[in-house]
Amino acid sequence: MSKIIGIDLGTTNSEVAVVEAGKPTIIKSAEGQPYFPSVVAFTKDGEMLVGEAAKRQAVTNPDGTFHRIKRKMGKGEKVKIRGKEYTPEQISAFILQKIKKDAEDFLGEKVKDAVITVPAYFNDDQRQATKDAGKIAGLNVKRIINEPTAASLAYGLDKEGDHKIAVYDFGGGTFDITLMEVGDGVFEVLSTNGDTELGGSDMDQALVEYLVDEFKKKEGVDLSKDAKALQRLTEAAEKAKMELSSTLQTDINLPYLTVVDNEPKHVELKLNRAKLEEIIGVFIDKTEKPCKQALKDAKLKPEDIDHVVLVGGTTRIPLVKKKVEEIFGKTPKRDVDPMECVAVGAAIQAGVLSGDIEKDIVLLDVTPLSLAIETLGGVATQLIERNTTVPTKKSKVFSTAADNQTSVEINVLQGERPMASDNKSLGRFHLDGILPAPRGIPQIEVKFDIDTDGILNVSAKDLGTGKEQSIRITGSTKLSDEEITRMKKEADEHAEEDKKRKEKVEIRNNGDALTVSAKKMVDELKDKISKDDKEKIEKGIKELQTALSGDVTDKIKKKTDELSEILQKTSTQIYQQAAQQAQQQQTGGASKQDESSWQGHPSSDDDKTINADYKVKKDKQDKDKN
Amino acid sequence: MTDNKKLDELQKTIKKNQKEIKELKSQLEEVNDKYLRSLADFQNFQKRTEKEVICREENTKRALILELIDVYELLKEASEDKNPKEGLKILINNIEKFLEKENIKPIDCVGQKFDHNLHNAITTVEKNDCDENMVIEEVKKGYIVNDKLLRPSDVIVSKKKD
Repeated sequence: MSKIIGIDLGTTNSEVAVVEAGKPTIIKSAEGQPYFPSVVAFTKDGEMLVGEAAKRQAVTNPDGTFHRIKRKMGKGEKVKIRGKEYTPEQISAFILQKIKKDAEDFLGEKVKDAVITVPAYFNDDQRQATKDAGKIAGLNVKRIINEPTAASLAYGLDKEGDHKIAVYDFGGGTFDITLMEVGDGVFEVLSTNGDTELGGSDMDQALVEYLVDEFKKKEGVDLSKDAKALQRLTEAAEKAKMELSSTLQTDINLPYLTVVDNEPKHVELKLNRAKLEEIIGVFIDKTEKPCKQALKDAKLKPEDIDHVVLVGGTTRIPLVKKKVEEIFGKTPKRDVDPMECVAVGAAIQAGVLSGDIEKDIVLLDVTPLSLAIETLGGVATQLIERNTTVPTKKSKVFSTAADNQTSVEINVLQGERPMASDNKSLGRFHLDGILPAPRGIPQIEVKFDIDTDGILNVSAKDLGTGKEQSIRITGSTKLSDEEITRMKKEADEHAEEDKKRKEKVEIRNNGDALTVSAKKMVDELKDKISKDDKEKIEKGIKELQTALSGDVTDKIKKKTDELSEILQKTSTQIYQQAAQQAQQQQTGGASKQDESSWQGHPSSDDDKTINADYKVKKDKQDKDKN
Repeated sequence: MTDNKKLDELQKTIKKNQKEIKELKSQLEEVNDKYLRSLADFQNFQKRTEKEVICREENTKRALILELIDVYELLKEASEDKNPKEGLKILINNIEKFLEKENIKPIDCVGQKFDHNLHNAITTVEKNDCDENMVIEEVKKGYIVNDKLLRPSDVIVSKKKD
């Protein structure tokens, strides 16, 4: 079955969403916006424009541009444009067609079906008109749902048993309040009210007027007729309004706003939230009366309302939230984007109809905490990260920590702390029979496999001998909520000190490993290393070993660095000698092959292989010159 | 005799079916496990991708912020300069080079016919000395990035007197 999209067909803007892999996603327009301006235009050249393009040309073509066509839906009116008559359904259909097309481009498949939302107060004619608009656009309208219902669905309020919901929808141009009752997933509208001429744009306008006044007071210049300055002020006002939703003060700085007597004039102004609230408060207060009326019509008291849902960009303003709290006496829900929640709810309804939601209801568990094994120095090495969906499998190859080690212990750990002892041990086992070999040589593959029931199988396999051991741990995903919270909290609390402890162990492990590789190097390359260098290295090893027998991390680190430097110098020399020999053997000088073989070697006296590589080449060139 | 034979055959069929059921059951179990594992893999992949996208966005943002900081530092120096013209010229040149590198081009508009694909009309002005629907003033410059509109030019458009 193909996808069903959910459309919030709005008065000024429309949004569309779809459920993908069980999650609602907002579909962006071809212009890259998460919304579609509900504007349709016919140009003088007979071209039809929808959305952004129509909006951009609106002032040049007032007679040929339709705004707010939603208000005319289902009222039997017709609109005439350039000698041709259209029904509001047809105009809405053009918007829906654009949405359909852009959704198809986004999804990469044809879209045939849609769920469209309408205001709760729409009558049967208006609903039918919306359905017809869909049909004209080539969409099979599977269902018309109320906007406040969709918003509640976005919050999952259909699943919470019987309760009463208030949906407070404050958009750019309109305000709606809807009171609903929900039970068994069925929504019933109890009352609606609102103001069709009240919205965020009124606030922007008032703020621009304030800025114009301030400028006049300061500079004595009236900007209200200056289209260019007004445009910048409008943009700045909108921005300031949004910013003051999260901060208490903002700057409105507009350099070169206008020119007076050949002198540029700038605006530099601070605006705080209190001032903004003073300017826009009057519009917010206006929403109170419709809310009170809606409560009265539904014969409800504010305390009868269980949830308040906020819809529309204007509800992001803190003062609006405060007002809503004041009216209904409870904190409103707003963790779903208020601009998108109607379309998201429509998409959820669509997903239920298409089976996209139920299909993915195979609820898979996640690992509540990370799973790890203990490695050298008591470090917890993670194999499966916290929050991984199960069933899942992960494996890693480990090795021995000492020469001739014939047995390894696998200690299975759960938790977020970097040190093994701070985590919960789920179980441990031994893998014996590893062939005696220098440390780091044996390869032990450790595999974690968690099945759907949360049963964890840990196996360790010696890849050399094929010997295998395993353990079965039940209930690795079934921890109590308190236990999970406690362990996460502990990890956060100890993050800093844990980091230090882990670093300490890592420094020790590094030092330890370096002594081994240094010894190996001296052993393997004894013909190539000068006596002098050999002595230096051996001295370095000795000093590092002494440091390792103590417990002063800084000293271990210092000695490790020193030895590492000596080793790098020595190996660079060896590689340079080799290069010279290769050079002498080859008649044609440095060939391509020569270069690539150099790149493959480990680095010399610098951290970066590339640097060392350049140096070597330069040396070679210098030698050539000589 | 025939009854026994029938019974034998029936028993054989039952055995065969039982074996088949067992096989199918284990197959179903296996397929179901595979399905659940790929579903989980997909969900884990989704989680990882989300993380990667955030990480990539952050890196892009960092790169741009660094460019902006350079401009900021130089502008600060220019503001201390008694004669900043020369320095500003070079700075502007640098920014233009950057825009060029990113394939960002300004939109020409004044004197051209209004184009809703590139221009945003903020108002109209009555004018009789030029054609109708012409851009007569640019209020804010528009830009194109990689042949796609970054932002339209805000413009004032001519209108015939009624």
